[in-house]
Amino acid sequence: MTESLRNTRKFASDVEQCMKCGFCSYFCPVYREEKDEKGLARGKNQLIRFLLKGEQALTAGFYQAIDNCLLCKTCVQYCPAKTRIDHAIVAARGDFAAEKGLPFSKSIVFRHILPRRGLFGLALRIASWFQFLLPRGEGRFRHLPQFLTALGAGRAVPEVAPRFLRQMLPERNAPRGRPLYRVGFFSGCATEYMFPEVGRMIVDVLTALDCEVVFDRRQGCCGAPVFLSGDLETGKKMAMRNIAAFDGCDYIVTGCATCSSGLSEYPVYLADTGEEKGRLETFSAKVRDFNEFVIDVLQADAGRFELRPEFRGKTVTWHDPCHLLRHQQVAAQPRKILNALDGLRFVEMPDADRCCGLGGSFSITHYDVSKRIADHKVAGFVVSGADAVVTACPGCMIQLRDALSRHGKAAEVLHIGELFRIRDDGSPRGDETRA
Amino acid sequence: MVAQEIIRRLSGIVGKDNVRASEEDRRVYSYDGTSTWMHMPDLVVFPTETAHVEAVLKVANEAKIPVTPRGGGTNVSGGSVPIRGGIALVMTKMNRILGIDPGNLSATVQAGVVLMDLQKALAAKNLFFPPDPQSFLGATMGGIISENAGGPVCLKYGVTKQYILGIKAVLPTGRTIQFGGITLKNVVGYDLVSLLTGSEGTLAVITEAVLRLMPMPPARKTIIALFDDLPRSGETVSAILDAGTVPAKIELLDNWVVRNINRITGMGLPEEAAAMLMFECDGAEEMVAHDSEKVIGVCRAMGATGVIIAKDAQQAQAYWKARSAGFAAVFSAAPTVLAEDVTVPRTRMAEFIRRVTDICKRADLEVTVIGHAGDGNLHPSVMTDQRDPAHFERAKRAIDEIIEAAIEFGGVLSGEHGIGLEKQKFMRRTQDPTFIEIMKQIKRIFDPNGILNPGKIWED
Ligand SMILES: Cc1cc2nc3c(=O)[nH]c(=O)nc-3n(C[C@H](O)[C@H](O)[C@H](O)COP(=O)(O)OP(=O)(O)OC[C@H]3O[C@@H](n4cnc5c(N)ncnc54)[C@H](O)[C@@H]3O)c2cc1C
Repeated sequence: MTESLRNTRKFASDVEQCMKCGFCSYFCPVYREEKDEKGLARGKNQLIRFLLKGEQALTAGFYQAIDNCLLCKTCVQYCPAKTRIDHAIVAARGDFAAEKGLPFSKSIVFRHILPRRGLFGLALRIASWFQFLLPRGEGRFRHLPQFLTALGAGRAVPEVAPRFLRQMLPERNAPRGRPLYRVGFFSGCATEYMFPEVGRMIVDVLTALDCEVVFDRRQGCCGAPVFLSGDLETGKKMAMRNIAAFDGCDYIVTGCATCSSGLSEYPVYLADTGEEKGRLETFSAKVRDFNEFVIDVLQADAGRFELRPEFRGKTVTWHDPCHLLRHQQVAAQPRKILNALDGLRFVEMPDADRCCGLGGSFSITHYDVSKRIADHKVAGFVVSGADAVVTACPGCMIQLRDALSRHGKAAEVLHIGELFRIRDDGSPRGDETRA
Repeated sequence: MVAQEIIRRLSGIVGKDNVRASEEDRRVYSYDGTSTWMHMPDLVVFPTETAHVEAVLKVANEAKIPVTPRGGGTNVSGGSVPIRGGIALVMTKMNRILGIDPGNLSATVQAGVVLMDLQKALAAKNLFFPPDPQSFLGATMGGIISENAGGPVCLKYGVTKQYILGIKAVLPTGRTIQFGGITLKNVVGYDLVSLLTGSEGTLAVITEAVLRLMPMPPARKTIIALFDDLPRSGETVSAILDAGTVPAKIELLDNWVVRNINRITGMGLPEEAAAMLMFECDGAEEMVAHDSEKVIGVCRAMGATGVIIAKDAQQAQAYWKARSAGFAAVFSAAPTVLAEDVTVPRTRMAEFIRRVTDICKRADLEVTVIGHAGDGNLHPSVMTDQRDPAHFERAKRAIDEIIEAAIEFGGVLSGEHGIGLEKQKFMRRTQDPTFIEIMKQIKRIFDPNGILNPGKIWED
């Protein structure tokens, strides 16, 4: 065999952990729909083991198997042997991409469009002029980083916001009082182009809690859709660019669960040398999800969280994004916020922690299974009796809107950052001249 | 290899997408829960209804192609490894619960239903299916019936064979037949339901089953007793039974297992004792109070160094979760683990444990004893490494001695995992040849061409 399998080898000992008990079959959302071992962590693990032994080649069939994964990490969460199959899958995708090349549609978007914010924006703007050509209405949305691939597959896409976040939000946003931290705001593609209002509201919360917020224009896509699909080379370029953009920040905060987990995973997949690993780790250590940052780092007084008036009297439920719950162990913090909001009723839905089925490009390449997984989410939502589902990942929001509208549910899907603002605590305001 | 013509015919039956022949597809159906057995099928076929199974078996029987039924692939005896190639008949897509009948305390399910999914559906109606193999997250009802599986609560409730009222199965010749029914009592002729239960997929392919259920016990209590001597904990088990109490579960964990469970779960079970017994008493409130008092009393009288009572359901659940991590704790501790499944009479458990410890000490091998002590079913597990031939040989010899000891004490070769491939070399040595001959003749009646799960249970 000629393949070097440079990336997969890094995780060889992880692959050896699996003892084939098959417990993952109960938790894997894909397996639960397909009932086929090839889609299961145990099956993929075996294929990767044989790949490393030189008895399995990087065939199209192999790629098909390792591509059929949401990277939701539910199997990792419950694996009694703590097998990190997620790492091995991404690395194997990396070796496949390096040695065989990714499918054409993916590689065009990943290599040429996503890394360039300006070009991405332009492409979207142009595409938005043609939105009328696409099936409209009922809020049929798709995850933005796969926007063009989605178009290629003839799929319905979300509407692009009339103004992007960078046209609304200044580069420097002064804190209300004496600055506690210098925070780099990482918008992420979906917030930038589709939910810019959410981005603005998050920044308002952060400045009201005395953070100086920098929205550096050099930032680009977090790279997760790119490197998690196996294009580690492009992913690394994107990572380096983001690292440069956030130089000098105490923290990097984002309202997108996929972005915060993606930024945190740079050192896992993208380092080739010890020195690089160190740089990526220093950066990743500063990355925080918005909920985690507000509750754990700022330790904000919950009494200052004020429900925005338009949500008064509503009952909401919470959807745990995989990228928050399982990638970053963030689950209690958003619930703390929701419980603190006077005038809002918060109820748990059954299986709040179940994956919504988006999985980035998975939802495009495996739309049928993706929809079936989302249907369970809708069922849980209905049981909860809530008017709206709140989450903290634009990707999940797109998937949930799509699923709810397919089921004819008028329910809203909200980002937690839209729900509240910070009450003034009457303390002295910061230097006026800085604003 | 299977001829294109056969693939075409099978595709016509189950649909193109349900017949797979790629290397990757065959690879992922080449193994089960055992660590060493592996063999690729030539084809993977997913039936979605009984009629499919019928038609597929007709084709296979006519062409004399081996067919190995497979459920969740969690068995630990090589049972679902298609050792002769041919077709892996994967039953997972037949996973519908066809009906739950609280008035008759029964449920009808397709073979591919996963036990945990069934338990969830039953719990909503305050019912449960007692047999509780600790692989409930992956094991299917077809596999559970075929292995006559059991778990911790089998001490009080019995094993799978006591909970199967009826079976719908397809004979290897392609004929569907129903055995048993829905009634608790049924003495109409030979008990073929029991014959199929535990037949390891060698007689017929089960497609549906009528299960016997029990109402959920209203109360439960979990108790842990610590001992500073491993065999002593074994003696305690029979002392408790002798005192007239049958807890739902009595599980035995030695110090090695406890430490390793802590290592992988961070659970923090007490590590100072040589052995730990975990009990669950269930039933009506008063009954549970009565039984737990008895259990605690006997443990103390037998010299337990400590007794812990779970303070609430949540803590109890955490203890049992830790117990179920035992398998992972054992199998992740060494490159190769030889895990036995012997069962000995409960009164001789202490003696047996002592013998196991001696055998392994003499051979300088690391061994651990974990098991369903309540029913004498122990899993002595020897740590070794297949890549080190000398060590591996030594470990295998120790296992031979352990099995011989179990039989000497009036025990059996396998309590719940089945013979499959893993244990067949012990069959001839430990069983009456007439017994093996009768099994072969029965097999011939069901399967004249020998196509169904060939190469299992006995050596040819
Ligand atoms: C972590 C772990 C813990 C375990 N704990 C226990 C335990 O506590 N108690 C216990 O008894 N076992 C236990 N087991 C073993 C195993 O889970 C059981 O044997 C289980 O019953 C197998 O079910 P399955 O669906 O995975 O069947 P498979 O492994 O797929 O098959 C098992 C056998 O049944 C046959 N078969 C499967 N489906 C059918 C069908 N529809 N018709 C005919 N034949 C069929 C197969 O050919 C094979 O011979 C454990 C295994 C693991 C990995």
